[in-house]
Amino acid sequence: MKKINFTLNGKSTIIEVEDNETLLQVLRERLHIKSVKEGCSIGECGACTVLIDNEPHYACLTLASKVDDHDVKTVEFLGDENLLHPLQEKFIEYGAVQCGYCTPGMLLTAYSLLLKNQPPTDGDIKEAISGNLCRCTGYIQIVEAIRNAAGICKCNP
Amino acid sequence: MLPEFASVIPESKEKALTYLSSLDKVKVFAGGTDLLVKMRRGETCNNIVDITGIPDLKGISQHGSLITIGAASTHKAISTHPIVRSQACSLAIACGWVGSPAIRNMGTIGGNLVNASPAAESLTPLLIHDAEVVLESNDGMRRMKVEDFILAPYKTAINTRELLTVIEIKGLSGYREGYKRVTKRAAWAISRLSIAWAILEEAGVFRDVKIAIGSCTPMPFRPNAIEASLQGKAKSVDIIRAAVEGILEEIKRISGIRPSFVYKIPVVRDLLVEILRS
Repeated sequence: MKKINFTLNGKSTIIEVEDNETLLQVLRERLHIKSVKEGCSIGECGACTVLIDNEPHYACLTLASKVDDHDVKTVEFLGDENLLHPLQEKFIEYGAVQCGYCTPGMLLTAYSLLLKNQPPTDGDIKEAISGNLCRCTGYIQIVEAIRNAAGICKCNP
Repeated sequence: MLPEFASVIPESKEKALTYLSSLDKVKVFAGGTDLLVKMRRGETCNNIVDITGIPDLKGISQHGSLITIGAASTHKAISTHPIVRSQACSLAIACGWVGSPAIRNMGTIGGNLVNASPAAESLTPLLIHDAEVVLESNDGMRRMKVEDFILAPYKTAINTRELLTVIEIKGLSGYREGYKRVTKRAAWAISRLSIAWAILEEAGVFRDVKIAIGSCTPMPFRPNAIEASLQGKAKSVDIIRAAVEGILEEIKRISGIRPSFVYKIPVVRDLLVEILRS
């Protein structure tokens, strides 16, 4: 057991975790953040993407003990059903959400990109989301949504 | 679920070495992108030493032509580092293609080497930069060439009490250098075939040629005899063609004829001709 103290979506969070517990398990099962999806569990789909210190990481391959003293963001940081983030609005507008399973990870990856790079080229967008599989959209709508969010999206880390 | 284990998170290299010398059934966690996948598939250990927070194991620095890369440097850190980009650009390109952006934020070059996949992106660039690894334990330190460190696919010379701490490479200036790979898809893929090269030439004459080819033979290799034979030779179509055919013969000699060669040999041939000619 290890006691970890980290920032989760802007709030200081203290929790005891098992040595062999992944961040994915702690977020979903202990902190009830179900937006972080379990897909492949071996780092090959991107559904469990979270931001650690604003960079995309796979929660399935991250030991929970490793986020001690770090900043973790899930899609709840961006907005909720009452006040969506402009990036989320653009995902809806451009049809970038179909089944929705990849969407939280995709949004976080896009958010991380827009923090560093505004406006990104389509090449930058494609490279950034290359670790997030989407089996519905064919990616075109996702690239369009991110491209069109770039101008209006103010990303304050 | 991962199998049960206890983890320690040392803050210094010395503490990590002490843990490695004393804990039983111990594994080093250097990024987890291979280790945790293997553990999900049933590999077990009693203890994990997480070295990813040790500052001594992370920096990239240069002394003369020697570039020192801390083994816990991530692929992202290596692919974006100005020293690597200017004097070992094949390594920067290769590390920039490992897995996906998240994998590159997590995975480390030390982990990549100890995992010793024969298709690991970093291997061919490390070969052309005469890379050496430094292995440390409480009993001392030893260093060896990368090609001696990797004994066979997924098997290295490291013992469980040792930590891979540093990778040293020779920086190259004035060479045209690059890395190409063939994959099953454009991104988030491991190479089916890779070539790293660094070529020094002057007025249409080869002065020094370094080529490493990955995923054609059980382990990536450099065709040393053919590299040497090109030294001082004119960059002509005939010379290049003969050298490339020699390299292909070498591949077939090492591997025997494999079913995949129907595809791979013509692709390697065209890539090598393009690389030597351009």
